[in-house]
Amino acid sequence: MRLEYFDMVDRVVELFRAEGRLVAESRVPEASPVFEGHFPGHPLMPGVLLIETMAQTSGFLLLALQDFAAMPFLVQVKTAKLRSFVAPGAALSISARLVHDGSGFAVTQAAIRAGETAVADAELVFRCLPFPAPELAAQMRARAARLGLPEAA
Amino acid sequence: MPAILGASARIGVIAPGASPLCFPALESPAMDAAVFDRVAEIFAETGSIPREKITPEAHVIEDLGIDSLDFLDIVFALDKEFGIKIPVESWMQKVDKGEAKAEDFFVMKSLVARIGDLVAAKTPG
Repeated sequence: MRLEYFDMVDRVVELFRAEGRLVAESRVPEASPVFEGHFPGHPLMPGVLLIETMAQTSGFLLLALQDFAAMPFLVQVKTAKLRSFVAPGAALSISARLVHDGSGFAVTQAAIRAGETAVADAELVFRCLPFPAPELAAQMRARAARLGLPEAA
Repeated sequence: MPAILGASARIGVIAPGASPLCFPALESPAMDAAVFDRVAEIFAETGSIPREKITPEAHVIEDLGIDSLDFLDIVFALDKEFGIKIPVESWMQKVDKGEAKAEDFFVMKSLVARIGDLVAAKTPG
């Protein structure tokens, strides 16, 4: 996880295509400029970045299920709950499940755990649009491949 | 933000200035009153629109003032309520290509009739 680059997912653990579900993992860095402000003397992973982590995990799920035909853009965060503080160095398990496959949009339910501890969960809505640039399509596919998503190969 | 720009652009597509009365639906399937009432309730609840504004002749964008994100929410609610997948993308493509008028899909009576067709199509017999 590289907070400064919005690079929130370290590895795709498994894609359950038939169930419409993906599990990923990521480790919060021990040090980051983000922690200098959030918060001085008490570093915590910002809640908005936990939401971003769930959004990116959902995004890779949608990319895989749609065979990289469209780019999912986050457009709505519903009922997000930030249940536990996350300190630097924490190992996170992130899951995302497809709730609804609409026409040009998708809804996912995502959650983060740290060991047995529930960290966060949210229902997220994405608008799935044609890739606005071929470079983005290539970059997303390359990034997904690096994370271990076989569908990206 | 690309998503927002894209969404805004799409609103433009489904909101041309023609009167609904000028362009009858491609087909004229009967509008089921019970389906209309349920669809109108979902529009009212999800879009925070006064129920009395939601008439069969109301245009989703021009008359009800629904923006793209609220419309997405409404489509999600309609999909769930009726167990269908409303093909909004396909409709927009037809409008983009000039194969149909926005009013063929996005005036309430047309929308309700098409939802009725989608529900009928998923239930054999």
